[in-house]
Amino acid sequence: MTEATGVDELVTETADRLFTQICDHESVQNAEAAGAAPEIWSAFAETGFPWISIDEDRGGSGGTLLDALEVLRLVGYHAAPIPAAETGVLGGWLLASSGHEIPAGPVTVLPNGNNITASVSGDQMTLAGTCTRVPWARIAERIAVLVEVDGQSMVASVNPKDCVIQPMTNMAGEPRDTVCFDGAIAPASPCVAGVNPESFRFRGALSRAALMAGAIEKMSQLTVTYTNDRIQFGRPVARFQAVQQHLVWGAQEAALARMAAETAGREANRGPAFFEIAAAKLITNQAAARATKACHQAHGAMGMTQEYPLHHYSRRLWSWRKEYGGDAEWSKWLGNAAVSQGAEGLYALVTGGSSVLS
Amino acid sequence: MSDLTEDQIRSDLDSILERRSAGTRLTTMGAGSDDLDDGRRYLATTVDGGWHVPTWPQQHGGRGASPSQNALIGRLLREFVVPDLYPFAIGLGMVGPALLAHGTETQQDEWLRPIASGASIWCQMFSEPEAGSDLANVALKADQDGEEWVLSGQKTWTSRAMWADWAICLARTDPDQPKHKGLTMFSLPIDTPGVEVRPLTQMNRDAHFSEVFVSDARVLDSWRIGERGEGWRVAMTVLAHERAGGGSRGGGDGNARGVRVPGWISDLQALGVAEEQVWRDEVSKIYAHDSVSRWTSQRAADEARATGVPGPAGSGAKLRTVKSYKDRAYLTNRSGGSYGMLSEGPGYIETMTAPSMSIRGGTDEIQRNILGERVLGLPGEPRLDRDAPWRESRRGLL
Repeated sequence: MTEATGVDELVTETADRLFTQICDHESVQNAEAAGAAPEIWSAFAETGFPWISIDEDRGGSGGTLLDALEVLRLVGYHAAPIPAAETGVLGGWLLASSGHEIPAGPVTVLPNGNNITASVSGDQMTLAGTCTRVPWARIAERIAVLVEVDGQSMVASVNPKDCVIQPMTNMAGEPRDTVCFDGAIAPASPCVAGVNPESFRFRGALSRAALMAGAIEKMSQLTVTYTNDRIQFGRPVARFQAVQQHLVWGAQEAALARMAAETAGREANRGPAFFEIAAAKLITNQAAARATKACHQAHGAMGMTQEYPLHHYSRRLWSWRKEYGGDAEWSKWLGNAAVSQGAEGLYALVTGGSSVLS
Repeated sequence: MSDLTEDQIRSDLDSILERRSAGTRLTTMGAGSDDLDDGRRYLATTVDGGWHVPTWPQQHGGRGASPSQNALIGRLLREFVVPDLYPFAIGLGMVGPALLAHGTETQQDEWLRPIASGASIWCQMFSEPEAGSDLANVALKADQDGEEWVLSGQKTWTSRAMWADWAICLARTDPDQPKHKGLTMFSLPIDTPGVEVRPLTQMNRDAHFSEVFVSDARVLDSWRIGERGEGWRVAMTVLAHERAGGGSRGGGDGNARGVRVPGWISDLQALGVAEEQVWRDEVSKIYAHDSVSRWTSQRAADEARATGVPGPAGSGAKLRTVKSYKDRAYLTNRSGGSYGMLSEGPGYIETMTAPSMSIRGGTDEIQRNILGERVLGLPGEPRLDRDAPWRESRRGLL
């Protein structure tokens, strides 16, 4: 591990190389039509990538949250059609922090599990209710369901075969299924302190910020390459000032999103990072809107076709932007946090972040 | 025809068309729809009265209307259900006016009425892989062979090609002339042997535009529109009408006279978001912009009618209309909260279509160039390839 970034560069270089090999435009396109990409998942899982940041003695691959987030950034960068965040930093984290076994296959979670009701009897939980927009439920081996029972956060490790799953997709064609739990019974156990619906929501937002930072960066790079290759009026369109302005927007949003996601990841790796995560999700959400606008415009008609890869990134960004909190939700949260500190506390909050809040 | 009063027009339209209501919902620019029937029925219903293209001569499906009468009919039509005429728009809005300006009497007799009645759909074979914004760089060649021309090359982004009966095609007839000068415009049936249409699937899943491959397609000289070497002038007429028509009749929903709340706002009300202050601000801003946008489009259209030639106001109208569409699409999509991420969510098809609006029919950048040069009198973009023979300039001089 290098001191400078705190990220295991061997891990991220290997992941980048792997995705470069197996995750090209065509395979992402095919995964959308098929609703899954078993080959990409197998190659990703073979090296233990999904379980980074989960302790080895709990069945994970070890490493830090920072390493895991860096891999997620690469998942976004390559538009890899796999439940990487769900299996690791979200579902794996829930299962490990409640003593459940980590399965060999993909895991998913409920991004919005508020309307699930649960009754506990011994170490069994009976679940009822329906959840929409569950990522990749159709291919999951387990659904890690986090619920509060009598004020205690508990995780049930649900076998999807005990549920009714209706396939749905997000704007990018990624599975976001509807899962009906009625009557499902699953082993359940309490979570360690600090793992609860509130901290889960923030961790979900952090995972999306990392994915989005990667996707924005790739979009920006695609746009620079395309506009340098595309010749109109006798020169590459990148030489036109109006196009250069779009390129600058793409690049600065990529830098901004990555900075915000990495700052939040670093703080979260150290301790509570509510403020930094809220800010990172809002910043990447807004960066996604501006960057997709600029990158699409600079690509012209080519960017609107399915034959060219830009849409893999723009459609994912439009979807992820709304997952684990849209602009309004995080704006409100940040606004409330600022108000709670009063006028005198504002500067301290902006410079000190979560350390001031806790 | 002598001018009719407002009441006479309304009563005539009432006898053939349905009134628009707050519940009227139509697609815009065909997004998410492959329907040809509604438009065809509407055009067949209105062609005898010449209601949809009132300024065209009566024998061609119009009613020879004066500019003021035409403007009045246009306003009154907004009270009625006019379907999204996207499939028919090239013929009605672009080829028709170009034929009236540049076509022979025989061509007008043969082609105009079927356009007005919805019987024939036209597409526009203009853009090529190397000629998008730089349209004058087209390479598809046409060689004369007696009373025929032989066309070979490739077009792309040809919208509506898979529905079309006819195409107008911009071709290179003299590669030794500078790029704007060696072009000629032709019409050809899309089923001409040697013409192959291959649809491209778009990000929004529509397949409304195509690549068109042309190999040794034979075209009659009597189908040539304008003189040899005048293709660019004809193309400019077509494109000026495209811009001016961007925000005109048909399509969209709400914003009609007598309909106080546009459909997209009542949808937001139904979702409950219109009650929040922040949303109200956004809705009001878009509504205001939308209204100005509509007036700009009407002004551009009125100017075009008065002078007979669409001017740069059409570029302003297109920029505004596009911004309106995008703002509405994104707001509607966000109104669904996290449901908005689903491909079944609110505003899905509009959001997937929105980026194309600033690109198709001339990019925002091209429209702003037109405004800069022709309205503000700013210096033009330097064009080093303007006077060089196309044969030398085509690959780029810089």
